[in-house]
Amino acid sequence: MEKLIEILEDIQPDVDYKTCEDLIDGHYLDSLSIISLISEIEEEFDITVPAVEIIPDNFNSAKKIMAMINRLREE
Amino acid sequence: MPLSIILGAGKLVSMTSLFVPAFFALFLPFCIITYALVPKKLKKYFLLVASYGFFWFVSGTLVIYLAATTLSMHYFGIWLDYTQGKMKSAMSQAEKEIKKVVKKRYITRQRYIVLMAVSLNIGVLLLLKYSKFFTVNINDLLAFMKVPLVIEIPKYLLPIGISFFTLQSLSYIFDVYRGVTKADENLFRLALFLSFFPIIVEGPICRYNQIAEELWDAKPITYRNLTLGLQRFLFGMMKKIVIADRLNPFVKVIFKDYANYEGGVIAFAAVCYTVQLYMDFSGSMDAVLGVSQIFGITVPENFKRPFFSKSISEFWKRWHITLGMWFRDYVFYPITTSGKMKKLTASARKKIGNHYGPLVAGSIALFSVWICNGLWHGSAWNFVFFGMYHFALILCGNLISPVVKSFNHRFKINPQWFFYRLLQMVRTSVLVVIGELFFRAEGLKNGLQMFRKMITDFSFSSLNTDMLVKCGVDYLDFVIAGAILIIIFIISVLNEKGIEVRETLAKKNIFLRWGVYYILILIIVIFGAYGIGYAPVDPLYAQF
Repeated sequence: MEKLIEILEDIQPDVDYKTCEDLIDGHYLDSLSIISLISEIEEEFDITVPAVEIIPDNFNSAKKIMAMINRLREE
Repeated sequence: MPLSIILGAGKLVSMTSLFVPAFFALFLPFCIITYALVPKKLKKYFLLVASYGFFWFVSGTLVIYLAATTLSMHYFGIWLDYTQGKMKSAMSQAEKEIKKVVKKRYITRQRYIVLMAVSLNIGVLLLLKYSKFFTVNINDLLAFMKVPLVIEIPKYLLPIGISFFTLQSLSYIFDVYRGVTKADENLFRLALFLSFFPIIVEGPICRYNQIAEELWDAKPITYRNLTLGLQRFLFGMMKKIVIADRLNPFVKVIFKDYANYEGGVIAFAAVCYTVQLYMDFSGSMDAVLGVSQIFGITVPENFKRPFFSKSISEFWKRWHITLGMWFRDYVFYPITTSGKMKKLTASARKKIGNHYGPLVAGSIALFSVWICNGLWHGSAWNFVFFGMYHFALILCGNLISPVVKSFNHRFKINPQWFFYRLLQMVRTSVLVVIGELFFRAEGLKNGLQMFRKMITDFSFSSLNTDMLVKCGVDYLDFVIAGAILIIIFIISVLNEKGIEVRETLAKKNIFLRWGVYYILILIIVIFGAYGIGYAPVDPLYAQF
């Protein structure tokens, strides 16, 4: 989780990722941030994020992103 | 006598609009009453028959395209499902080392099935909608190269809503491929999803998971849904009949004879057209959502107060939302998350940083989205220009955003400051109006000349009562349209602040609620642009 928050802060600073629950709906992360984030987490966590996973529900909070990463790791 | 004539096929073309008496006074009440009377088990089949009947009335024998799309997508969906089942079974039996190979083999098969489905459906759309455009341009090119060959320009009749039901059917097949939804074995359920009559003409472009089950569930009509649905329908009708159709004669004349008017008048006509398009399309969407609500169906919103947008990028998240989401999910993200693009993003980020790095792959995907978006709206160069214009604006917005941020930081400007946001909204609206000028212009050449006049000859000297009369309007038309726009603006501000006006109204007593309905009806009856002096205006997005 800490590594993920580090990645997020690198991509888009000035957001409290520990508490924010509307990263997409609140427009904190735009489509370019998402492209960066996917590229980073794929490299860091050795996973592949298919386009179908890019829905607000998977990216609205750090917890949800981590849950998606864990799920993709298991698959 | 041919059967099609007997049954009135294609005879009610005017029913492309939900605001013509043939629809709201005959077809809709008939559907509501019959739907309410038929037994629960038959309601869904009645909706299907009514939807095909609607299509038949509007497009006649061209209904064959809708039926063929449905049959082909049903078949491809089942084929995909079968292949996915085989893949799971093969994967469970395969040794760990070769699982990846097995998976890859089956994924390739699935991709071929999707490719066939896309080629067939996009092929039909290209043939019917774009063959004339391509042939004319090939002939121009041949003439330019002095090749003595002229290809005959094909003429095809377009079934109503083909651009909408093609995208909707493609989203179904993509979602089956991506595992978002299961293939529907029930042909009738899929047919109802693709043909539901309120959405067939202008959308919104719905996803299978959003409405298919709800449609098939066919709940009884409730008092709440009926009244709220009618209320939304009337609100949409007011936007379309009182504002959009009232501005239409003026817009039509100025865009046709722009050479006789100054740039200021052209700019005013461009603003009027933008208002007309917004009121026409969002009004039609209100009607679609209202009618759907009557039958208990929740259709996704297509507008979210777009003129409160602070950037062009935000504008497209609030205007024709379902089209934007379609391109985002099925074009933008698949391109940016493809293997090569991911590598490009990773290496670009290391070289040019977090902001500009992803913009390299992002701009390639954005370009694809906007060329498709422009062409989707129509087969002409001004639509291509319209797409490229918005692509350039969004790209520029992304390119300069770090500079703007650092400027604001340096000069201690708070981006949340009201006047700053207001300025952003005005700037976005001006850029949108310029885009709509090219969108409405009769060809790219005319669009460019109109724009040039706006810059070089900006005056309003010919704008007077006589000129308005020549255009088929008078100043009262603008006063009425303006007054209703103020009401819509106030409602929009309240909605933007999170106050749900419809819900608030629904909680009020019966006298107030019905008072509002009667006021809406009176506004439409008294101020609506219909009857002598007004030609009926088809919904502007029905032509796309």
